[in-house]
Amino acid sequence: MFFRIESSNGLAIYEQIVRQVKFAVAGDALKTGDLVPSVRELSRDLAVNPNTVARAYRELQGEGILAPVRGTGLEVTPHAEKHCAAERVNLIRERLRSVLLEARRSRLELPEIRALLDEEFTRLEKKGKAP
Amino acid sequence: MTPVMRLDKVTKRYRGQLALDNVSFEIPPGVVVALLGENGAGKTTTLRILLGLTEPDSGEAEVLNLDSRKQGEEIRRRVGYVPERPTLYEWMTIAEHGWFAAGFYPSGYLAKYLELVKQFELPADRKIKQLSKGMRAKVALALGMAHEPELLILDEPTSGLDPLVRREFLESMVDVAAAGRTVLLSSHQIGEVERVADLIAIIKKGKLLAIEKLDDLKNDTRELTLTLNNGAPYLSDVPGEVICGREHERQWRLLVRHLDETRLDSFRSLAQVRDLDVRTPNLEEIFVAYMRADEEPRKEISR
Repeated sequence: MFFRIESSNGLAIYEQIVRQVKFAVAGDALKTGDLVPSVRELSRDLAVNPNTVARAYRELQGEGILAPVRGTGLEVTPHAEKHCAAERVNLIRERLRSVLLEARRSRLELPEIRALLDEEFTRLEKKGKAP
Repeated sequence: MTPVMRLDKVTKRYRGQLALDNVSFEIPPGVVVALLGENGAGKTTTLRILLGLTEPDSGEAEVLNLDSRKQGEEIRRRVGYVPERPTLYEWMTIAEHGWFAAGFYPSGYLAKYLELVKQFELPADRKIKQLSKGMRAKVALALGMAHEPELLILDEPTSGLDPLVRREFLESMVDVAAAGRTVLLSSHQIGEVERVADLIAIIKKGKLLAIEKLDDLKNDTRELTLTLNNGAPYLSDVPGEVICGREHERQWRLLVRHLDETRLDSFRSLAQVRDLDVRTPNLEEIFVAYMRADEEPRKEISR
């Protein structure tokens, strides 16, 4: 899988790595049993501090998404896919919430927001496939 | 854990001009520390004092348990140092320069140096004077890393270099850190610092304003944008420590440390506050806020 780190992003870099691994699992770019790159490999590849990568991996292990395989590295666990799909819904919910907050601040009423949502959704359907 | 470096109440003046003002810090081993500050803030002076190249007027400096005042030579043999403008012998070839430098270090230096030269894709038989700026920088880095020092000190390592060479410098730093060794760098390249640093030290006009974990600094800083009704709240109403504030028409933008989220709602409901937006700033915004903060001495920020 490919990672992309944006340092000007308000999100901590380890958090960006955690999220991208979860999205990759949810989107089938990483499957059960796949190995993730080693800390050293990934830190060099992204030019980020190895402690940051290690921290991201620790968190993913803590959530049971990655597990160590003796002598080889970390692999995606069987239970990861379900967990990450749920997680992805949560992340989208969070983003939706911040959009709603902004809409409310601009004094938009619920029917107007719903109309906007429907409009945009139809537009996407027309394009064929969601990006 | 014994610190890799330590400054204790270090003050330095140049012709009456204060370069460092009572600076103290301790750096644990195995971290990447970035020294951030404007030109002339005291970054290079800090590095030079640690290396024993500049003597402080008062205070103590230690590196690897060695006294920077008395054991500078030993320190410089043990650490790797890449100065901002490295002095190289123009008439030597890259290979000859390594051979020359190897005389100052234990055996194994030259082999490792040549390995790095190869890794950096440098032409070993070319003379220094015929090298581009990027190549010279890489030679300096190879010279500073060939004895595999437990501490690597880099002064503005990537300033003025092209993106590819900068990337190689970053990768080298990451390698050193991955091997559990310590890196101290001074830099203006905040985006790069944000990628590689564990600890951030912010210096302004010779004063150390903050030294803490990059994650803590980011997690614990918020940007508040207030839209005001008639009249403004008191700064003391803000539930946190205001680092820097700007006013524009009927809006305030504040950078706040240690924001107390539990008191945010009551602040939001003050009569003077029409709207309040809270977001997480990036390191560059935090740095700029510290640089713009008013001059009066702030509470010491404890680690």
